[in-house]
Amino acid sequence: MMPRENTHEKKKRNPLLPVMNAPCIELSGNREILVEGSKGVLEYTAETVRVNTQGMILTICGRELNLRCISDSALMIDGFITSLSFTV
Amino acid sequence: MLLGLLRFIRGYVSFTVSGKYPERFLNITSRNRIRLWNVQRKGDGFDGCMYRADYLKIRKLARGSGVRLRVTAKSGLPSYVVRYKDRVGVMIGACAFLLTVFVMSLFIWSIDITGLDRVSRVEMQEELREQGLYIGAFKPSLDYQRIARNILLENHDVGWMAVNVTGSYASVEIKEEAPAPEVENVYAPCNIKAKSDGVILRIEALEGTTEITEGSGVIEGQLLVSGVMGDEQGTSRLVHAQARVLARTTHEASFSISEKQNRLIPNGETAERQSAELFGLRLPYRFGRVDSPYAAVDLYTDAPAPLGITLPIGVATEKVSALTYEETELDDNSAKELLMKQSQLYELFSLSDCTVEGRETELSHQDGVYTLKVTYTCAEDIAYSELIGTDENTDLTRYVNPTEPEKEQ
Repeated sequence: MMPRENTHEKKKRNPLLPVMNAPCIELSGNREILVEGSKGVLEYTAETVRVNTQGMILTICGRELNLRCISDSALMIDGFITSLSFTV
Repeated sequence: MLLGLLRFIRGYVSFTVSGKYPERFLNITSRNRIRLWNVQRKGDGFDGCMYRADYLKIRKLARGSGVRLRVTAKSGLPSYVVRYKDRVGVMIGACAFLLTVFVMSLFIWSIDITGLDRVSRVEMQEELREQGLYIGAFKPSLDYQRIARNILLENHDVGWMAVNVTGSYASVEIKEEAPAPEVENVYAPCNIKAKSDGVILRIEALEGTTEITEGSGVIEGQLLVSGVMGDEQGTSRLVHAQARVLARTTHEASFSISEKQNRLIPNGETAERQSAELFGLRLPYRFGRVDSPYAAVDLYTDAPAPLGITLPIGVATEKVSALTYEETELDDNSAKELLMKQSQLYELFSLSDCTVEGRETELSHQDGVYTLKVTYTCAEDIAYSELIGTDENTDLTRYVNPTEPEKEQ
């Protein structure tokens, strides 16, 4: 007979939990990216934008990157995006 | 587009940020819930836009972040207000213009009626006016469906009607009621008789026995085509006789006119009045009058109609011709001329079904009255149907071939 898992262990294994605190990133092709849940812009040049999110840094590389709109919790970047990388 | 409109109404500034760490400025603004847009990197700083109200708050924050903030442009409605603050007249004019456009758009300024044939336009305009639809009518008080429904109920010549209003332009579409065709009972046995005296020119008998020949003279009421047809066996059957009988007929008419005529004649004195028509109002600006108590007035309105829509502005011109009573004594020629005009009207209205082949006139003058006697020679269809029966209640339809099978109850 298999041992029953207690409820505490079940909660720890819930796959949704890490997602709850993660930023929501939405890409439209490679021309536009929307980042919800940003905590600030660490670096902004026409080729690189580094965004601080909860627990990681999102690095967007490309050409002619513009911050189309920036608010307290979201930012939208357009331009020609060539790569995305995450630093955890 | 909506976002652009909101930004225009709230007003926004375009700015340039330069300094060592411009990102700090971005984070400070976002932390203070200040929205930036169109942020573009330029050298050691960037360009961007923010709301005008936010810019007033951000200056102190920018100083703390160690960047230099410089406004490059101010846009939006508040900028215009500030720019024209001293020109009160311009602002009042703009507001008055907007108010005028708004108020004017609440009224009907042009009405177009289409689809009229038998119903006169003036009559329809009057009916629409009674229902509240006229130039200058207040639009919110109009119920277009009720207008159409009431006119349909009152005017039986109108079969369908719709009132469509686009802005201040009302388009009234009308379909007139088609008159029900007269249905002839083709199974009722009947004879064809002559409705007037004449000489037969041609007979086109479709059904029945022809009782006359071409060239024969007939009198009024004479049987032309019989509805009783016999065969070789000696039996008879009743038919619905149909024929067209063309005959030469004569019509006489006399017209009289008094020798002494008291008529209103233009005395040569004329005047012109003009008035401007503006949104249903008529404002006279040119006055002309004649001395005579009698006058004939010609009124015509010149209104611009771009794209087929008559505008509610125009110039109405009245041409007034003074008239005076003048007693004239007619001579033979003038009397005949007037009487011939009367005879032409008679021809037009009373002899419209005939082809007038000739006319003989005879003018007489007796006791101060001229009389013109005209004899018309016409070619016309003199046939008319008369049912066969002992009285009008006799129904002989069932004796006519082919008979329709009786419907089973």
